[in-house]
Amino acid sequence: MTKASRWKDSSLGVVGVLGLLAVWEALTRSGAVNPVIFPPPTAAVAGALAKVPPRDLWEHVSTSLLRILWGFGVGAGLGILVGIASGWYRTLGALTQPVIDLIRPIPPLAWIPMAIIWFGLGEPSKVFVIFLGAFFPVVTNAYKGMTGVDPILLRAAQTMGLSGPRLLLQVAIPAAMPDIATGLRVGWGLSFGVLVAAELIAADAGMGFMIMHARQSGEIGVIIFGIILIGVTNLLTDYGIGEVIRRKVGRWHAT
Amino acid sequence: MAKIEIRGVTKRYESEDAAQGLAVENVSLTIEDNEFVTLVGRSGCGKTTLLNIIAGLVEPTGGEVLVNGRRVTGPGGGKGMVFQQHALFPWLTAIQNVEFGCKSRGMPPAERRGSAAQLIELVGLRGSEEKYPGELSGGMQQRVAIARALALDPEILLMDEPFGALDELTRIEMQGELLRVWSTRKKTVVFVTHSITEALMLSDRIVVLSARPGRIRQECAIDLPRPRERANPRVIALYEEIWRNLS
Amino acid sequence: MKRSGATSPEGAPRSRGPALAAPRLLGAAFVAGLVLLWQAASLAGVLKPFYFPPPSRLALAFWELAWEGFPEGVRIGTHILITLARIGQGYLLAVGVAIPLGILIGRSSVLDRLSLPIITFARSVATLSLLPLVIVWFGVGELSKVLLIAYGCFWVMLTNVIAGVKYIDPLLIRAAQTLDTSPAGIFVRVVLPAALPRMFAGARVALGVGFMVIVGAEMIGTIQGLGALIMEARTYYRTDISVVGMVAIGLFGFGISVGLERLERVLLPWHRGLESVRR
Repeated sequence: MTKASRWKDSSLGVVGVLGLLAVWEALTRSGAVNPVIFPPPTAAVAGALAKVPPRDLWEHVSTSLLRILWGFGVGAGLGILVGIASGWYRTLGALTQPVIDLIRPIPPLAWIPMAIIWFGLGEPSKVFVIFLGAFFPVVTNAYKGMTGVDPILLRAAQTMGLSGPRLLLQVAIPAAMPDIATGLRVGWGLSFGVLVAAELIAADAGMGFMIMHARQSGEIGVIIFGIILIGVTNLLTDYGIGEVIRRKVGRWHAT
Repeated sequence: MAKIEIRGVTKRYESEDAAQGLAVENVSLTIEDNEFVTLVGRSGCGKTTLLNIIAGLVEPTGGEVLVNGRRVTGPGGGKGMVFQQHALFPWLTAIQNVEFGCKSRGMPPAERRGSAAQLIELVGLRGSEEKYPGELSGGMQQRVAIARALALDPEILLMDEPFGALDELTRIEMQGELLRVWSTRKKTVVFVTHSITEALMLSDRIVVLSARPGRIRQECAIDLPRPRERANPRVIALYEEIWRNLS
Repeated sequence: MKRSGATSPEGAPRSRGPALAAPRLLGAAFVAGLVLLWQAASLAGVLKPFYFPPPSRLALAFWELAWEGFPEGVRIGTHILITLARIGQGYLLAVGVAIPLGILIGRSSVLDRLSLPIITFARSVATLSLLPLVIVWFGVGELSKVLLIAYGCFWVMLTNVIAGVKYIDPLLIRAAQTLDTSPAGIFVRVVLPAALPRMFAGARVALGVGFMVIVGAEMIGTIQGLGALIMEARTYYRTDISVVGMVAIGLFGFGISVGLERLERVLLPWHRGLESVRR
């Protein structure tokens, strides 16, 4: 795939937004759809920016991003470590995987009340839940990647004198990268969803909070603006991660 | 009237490099009824493309193919085909695969079951009717593929390197099987392979194609009775000749 | 697919530890050990039961939920049924629309290209971010929750159906063509069966999404349902009930996922054969 076509595909999401917005604008302007329930985008954005001054907006967005960076950072980091170690050392894997398999089905959001009990109402509780959102996909995919490494590659490396940690670092992990990369991508997406939900339910700042707060004052414009903002942020960050992955792994592995 | 007439067939694929895009150039060939003809050449010499054109799966850029005097416009209609990667439907059992064409033709269930069962027997797979392709070995898969193609009793059987994915021993076994089946149900066969030995073992006539673009380089008839011996001096001599032609 | 047990690839270097006689046994023993440790730590006073309700507490809480109900007498059975009903309705709605629509889009390259930007964007919208909007438009009742779940499940299922129908081995279609099959015949007898595995995969992922969404959706504006239970319990400082709720959701999510896998194995018996051969 050429760079041009990749760019085209990724910006399609944004095109979709614009297209939808244009149609929406037309419908509400012409009166086909009641503008009170469904304000036109221009009015929504203008109204949103009026109700939520740019400085507050920036605070919300940055709070959210900070949370997710922390949560994802720790979650993905730990996930990779545990996943790789469990996949490489059989005994460790036999111990960790069942525990992980048992806990994984519990949706991260279900942990919110306990997280609040443990960590209070502040940042750590949110970061914890986001951590959970990132951890499980990453650890599962890292484990799968490691256990799925073609034994031929390992044997070939051994005939060239590699063993132990060097074998792990120079052969096994690179071979497992495609799966690890997938895990990171999925984990990010999940983290994002968890972030938004966590902020809706139990926060006093952040994009999710912003929308929830607007609901209480009945400001639909702000809500819609927030939803789109979140969506676009998600798209852009996902594209960013995708690009990084493509550059590192994409050359030799067609995903 | 010849069974298959290939008249000045050319196939060009869109590509930047003009020479690269030409898969087959001005190929003309006549194939008689019940003849076993093999197209031999290196990989990429256009033999598969030519076979697909005869099958009606691909349209030639120039020239035409006539079967029974009538122009080929599409696949099916008495032109059975066997592919290198068996192309069996993984969700159907062996016998269901064999029945597939009969079902397409609207044959009633009892009849097509019976016909399929006979063919399974013919290719030596009795007992494996209810197995899925994923449960069969490579050789067995190709037997099913052959049975499936034969189910519609086609006049022409087109085979695109059908044994290419098999190991040597199975390959030799399958060659024998093919000849046996062919002797029971005579058909016009157009066989594609890159193995000169295989061509020599099977065919009435060998057509050698040059590399890109595909053009006929040589034709030679083989009048030896089957089964043929690899060690037969005539076979060896022909092998040398074709080998020289291909290099 | 390689089962994620603790077995390393065949012939793995010996440097990675002794061969395990029964990895499953070891795993189970470890889990049991952890549970016992948890209980012991709680009894010894190391873990405060409020912060880490021990298994004994959880069992009691479950009993309470089963007979007396919480809060206000709502029994665990009711909570479970309501949650499952919400997921079920949303899920079926989503899948019911996604399958025909996905098939339509997958078969038409025009529709595919047109829909791609819309789908890409819709998928990037965090489903739960729609909660406030849905509440404003449809109130805090059942409809809102069902719609939310439907939204989340729909896009995942749609993408998978489209992919399943789009990426079919052209060789299979060629083979069918040489067997005198009409285009309609090819669609029904080749395209659809070939797309089934991917559609099942989509169905499984969509279900997972459903479970994720319902928990968030139930944490606002309702006291019935497992998500509501977990949240409400906190306000009463009943952490034991919260945890029971968490475990319940986890169990059901896991159980239904396994159920789907079993169903797939029954409906697509050939697929496993294919997968095991491919390895």
